[in-house]
Amino acid sequence: MFDWLQQNVIWMIPAAPLLACLWIVFVGQFARRELAHRPVVLALSVSVLSALYLMFAVVPKTFVEHHGEAHAAHAEEHPAEHAAAEPEEAEHPSEAVSALAAVEPSEEGHAEETHAAAKSVTFLVYNWFDVGDMHIPVLLRADAMSSLMLLMVTSVSLLVAIFASGYMHGDPGYPRFFAAMALFVFSMCMLVLAGNFLLMFVFWEAVGLCSYLLIGFWFHKPSAAAAAKKAFVVNRIGDFGFILGVFLTWTTFGTLDFQQLFEDPTLITGVAHSNPAIFTTICLLLFVGAVGKSAQFPLHVWLPDAMEGPTPVSALIHAATMVTAGVYLVARCAPLFMHAPLALLVVSIIGAITALVAAITALTQYDLKRVLAYSTVSQLGYMFMSLGAAAANPEHLMQHAVTFAMFHMFTHAYFKAVLFLAAGSVMHAMGDIIDMRYFSGLKKALPITHRTFLCGALALAGFPLLSGFWSKDEILSVLFAASRTSSPYALAFSIIWAVSLLVSLMTAFYTFRAYFLTFHGPERFPEAAGHHPHDAPPAMAGPLYLLAFGAIFVGLIAGPTHLYAHYLHQTPGLPTADPHPMNLVMMGLSTVIALAGIGMAYALYGRGATAPAPDAPLSPAAAFSYNGLYLDQLYLALVVRPLRGLAKLSETFDKQVIDRLVDTTAAIPALVGAVIRPFQNGMVQNYAFIMLLGLAACLMWVIQAVAG
Amino acid sequence: MNIVLSAIRNAVDLILPEVALLATVCMIFLAAPFLVSERGEAAPGLRHRWGWLSLIGLSVAAYLWSISEIQPVGLGPFRLDGLAWFIRGLSLASGLILVLVNWNQAEDARAGETQACLLAIIAGVNLVAAANDIVGLFVALELISIPTYIFLLMPRRDALAQESMLKYFMLSIFSSATLLFGMSYLYGLTGTTHLEGIYASLQAGQSQPMPLLVTIAAVMMIAGLAFRLTAVPFHFYAPDVFQGAPNSVAAMLSFIPKVAGFVALYRVLAVTIPSGDWSMLSLSTPLLWWLAVLTMFVGNLLALLQNDVRRMLAFSSVSHAGYMLVGFVVGDAGTKAISGYDALLFYLSVYGAMTIGTFATLAALSTSSRRVSAISDLDGLSQTRPVIAIALTFFLLSLMGMPFTAGFVGKLNLFLVAWNSGGDAGQWLAIWLAVNAAIGAWYYLRLIREMYLSDPVTEVGQEQQPAVMVAIGLCTLATMGLFMMPEWLWQAIQKV
Repeated sequence: MFDWLQQNVIWMIPAAPLLACLWIVFVGQFARRELAHRPVVLALSVSVLSALYLMFAVVPKTFVEHHGEAHAAHAEEHPAEHAAAEPEEAEHPSEAVSALAAVEPSEEGHAEETHAAAKSVTFLVYNWFDVGDMHIPVLLRADAMSSLMLLMVTSVSLLVAIFASGYMHGDPGYPRFFAAMALFVFSMCMLVLAGNFLLMFVFWEAVGLCSYLLIGFWFHKPSAAAAAKKAFVVNRIGDFGFILGVFLTWTTFGTLDFQQLFEDPTLITGVAHSNPAIFTTICLLLFVGAVGKSAQFPLHVWLPDAMEGPTPVSALIHAATMVTAGVYLVARCAPLFMHAPLALLVVSIIGAITALVAAITALTQYDLKRVLAYSTVSQLGYMFMSLGAAAANPEHLMQHAVTFAMFHMFTHAYFKAVLFLAAGSVMHAMGDIIDMRYFSGLKKALPITHRTFLCGALALAGFPLLSGFWSKDEILSVLFAASRTSSPYALAFSIIWAVSLLVSLMTAFYTFRAYFLTFHGPERFPEAAGHHPHDAPPAMAGPLYLLAFGAIFVGLIAGPTHLYAHYLHQTPGLPTADPHPMNLVMMGLSTVIALAGIGMAYALYGRGATAPAPDAPLSPAAAFSYNGLYLDQLYLALVVRPLRGLAKLSETFDKQVIDRLVDTTAAIPALVGAVIRPFQNGMVQNYAFIMLLGLAACLMWVIQAVAG
Repeated sequence: MNIVLSAIRNAVDLILPEVALLATVCMIFLAAPFLVSERGEAAPGLRHRWGWLSLIGLSVAAYLWSISEIQPVGLGPFRLDGLAWFIRGLSLASGLILVLVNWNQAEDARAGETQACLLAIIAGVNLVAAANDIVGLFVALELISIPTYIFLLMPRRDALAQESMLKYFMLSIFSSATLLFGMSYLYGLTGTTHLEGIYASLQAGQSQPMPLLVTIAAVMMIAGLAFRLTAVPFHFYAPDVFQGAPNSVAAMLSFIPKVAGFVALYRVLAVTIPSGDWSMLSLSTPLLWWLAVLTMFVGNLLALLQNDVRRMLAFSSVSHAGYMLVGFVVGDAGTKAISGYDALLFYLSVYGAMTIGTFATLAALSTSSRRVSAISDLDGLSQTRPVIAIALTFFLLSLMGMPFTAGFVGKLNLFLVAWNSGGDAGQWLAIWLAVNAAIGAWYYLRLIREMYLSDPVTEVGQEQQPAVMVAIGLCTLATMGLFMMPEWLWQAIQKV
């Protein structure tokens, strides 16, 4: 039984939601539509349990304890031993636990320090593409990093699905919602489990499509349809960079397989010696993909608009899971980024700009969900800042940079999900109104929502000992460490570190601004809410409490205990590093900043102040912030209009030049004209004439080329 | 006498499927007039019989194809090499689906001739691939064009159809003349019309002192064939003709001429001359590069502005011709495993499934009195005809190149070969391809949005058309199957 489970647990994680989706599509939408959530909740429970089993029972078997060079060299010489240790392997050739262990030669002084790369669990579904030298199997692959990510994805999805069963109750598209959500979880799990770049790209697109379907869920609202389109189109720009990066990887390394790329360091170091410049190009292209998906500057504009979707979707896709795929991509490719410090610096700078721009915008928003959306963008910026911090000293900092970025992603998933779901609960109670100018003082009316929102807000603000505190603190300290190196980028990281402190302050401020405006002050309800708004029903309250619990305590697995880091260190391809000591000064600093931000928010909004009337004019600075630094308008002027203009130009050419030509030729009453006149006035002559011109142009051009 | 007879028999042996098809065509043309009364009326349901008869003809041809074997190229008028074998399979398969789409397009009295024209066109494509002589090649191309004129007018005889027929007629003649002009130069240069003879002569370097003549021959032939590919600037007829043509004809026009055009282009151009530093292909590659880029951009940008479904699909067809030209430009280069031609053939097959499928859905939505024309006619289709809406969405996603559809694999191959073909030109081509794929997503998405995110405004046809539904099903299966198991098609392409 357990042997079987060892082998097969990996595919059960994505298969369960896929089955649920198919069930709803073929059965659930016709019979008992109101129970469409049941298969999804069941499937996601299976996924969570499988993910837990994978994380604690299957993946740890692949870990290699590294205590120095002797053991590592030993492991390298006898990879067969590992294979022999897994007797099932011979029986199930398709489900081999890879036994690639190799020595990574270090480039600088500490050449003695070698380590055996950890392995990964793989499962071959089938050979998708097998032409000549191109082998692209549908291969599932799990290692420490992906199993952590899977646990986060499945557990948050499960809670959001339960919440949605209450939230979406009575919606005409109830089964459609759950089908799309199950499809999303399937695609996301496959994205995380993908064993090669191409498969990852396929599901990268698939999650984008699901997100499109779910943002436009309430398609009767034109704004929802427009937001869906915007998200899709902006994401295509990112995907464009991603696919270019993937192909450049292929031409450079001759493989897209993660196992070959990351578990056999000789491949990467070989190229690093012969062609170091290529890494920067590959990494920057891959990062363009991450920028699109994770809504980083300058492609961040789609995420706030995506809030038009149902709130559980915002919580799941646009806060906890899909948008973190970009962070996952960069973290996954850390072995590549290690050789491209310049690309890492760009990652960090883009992260810093995004965090700052989004935080400034979040300061003045009145739509509660938009505040949270901008804060998501800003927190994603934090993660990229952390990832990029390794630029200063890739060998030593890469592991910490990746660990802390992934850790922040992990904690962020829980506290942001609780914030969004609580905001959804507010929206539910207020009759779909989410503008903070229309309500206030909901503390008494919505006690459950208030309590859970407060937990999430404290965690986001970085209140000491809550999850956000630990993860944000780690990021600040790794950035600080980066600024203290002797690398040429140290100055840049000093600035980025300062930005991160500033953003930290703004985060605490805008989070509590939203909290005070919503839950404190005089009790006011909008008309749409009726007189007695009701708090979250049990189906919604349960997930809220669980996520709030997570928001408070999940940080403990890394901060004081280092459990998380020890687990993540086992990811194949990550360089080893000394353990990162806790930086008490940094902790004190971030505590002061968090408390200062909360205090400022209290001073301005906490003492009974309410938001201004919806039509009150904004001061220029506030308007600048409120409109997201006018970036949308800028894009409209710089990108959308020229493109539209180009299309118009082609049309004008078609209409003006060709039609004019028709008019002139039609003036000559030719014999042919008499035949054709009944049918659109001799357009054909025109067409023929243009074809002739084209032919003449081609001829002249080629002849000139030959003659010259 | 015996020698002549055996020569004829050897030649016919190579084109047995076409003989079967043309025999069916003759049978229908002979019998059909007798089954229609003097007032032009026929027994109701006659079209089903013609449909079945055409299917039988195609099945016989397909059987003959399946038992045929690739032969070494000889001196006869026909050849059965890997390409001819592959194209024959492809055109027979698409012919099968097109007959189904065409099933209800014409009224009973004219259904026979309509299906017969279609079969003649399919035979023409096969003969283009099988021709071993430029005269034969030209005649085969005309065997596609001439039935197309009738095919355009047969099912519907309203002003729109007449207009589109006449436009196609005039411009097609123009392009045939251009092609013939180029071919005559080729003959003048090499002194033979036999393809192998031409290759041998060019490779021997006989025409090296006259590069200008070779150039003119190449450009003229490219221009003549570019009309069939709907490559810019020879694409102008496409939107007008597609808009006016019946759905089954538009489906045929979006695919069949492209197959014939690319095969003919390959036959006349793709011969490299080892001696000297130039060849007919290397002369024309820069030209084709520009044609590819222009075709992609013009097709996609103009498609953005269309409000008529068929016009939009016509421009989409133009842009897809550009994608395929990318494969042609890459040519023999590409990755170790896949050459540009392989990628082109793969994309061509995939494109056939998705474009015929798209037009088949439009055929299923049209009634005899009213056709789907404006994009807004598709509003809320997901509520009125959910199955068709899903199928159309699937085809559009495939045209877009999204994963889980064959279009994704097709674009991926093209991108891959262009990127790996070596040199900046190839990589730029790959980048322009990717940019265009992104632009293209926009207008296909617009159709999907109308179907799912709007309320129904106009009524669409509700009558059940089993034949068309089968065609849609087959196209969906192909589009899905070629994503899941591209291997299948690859093995066939590797034989080429």
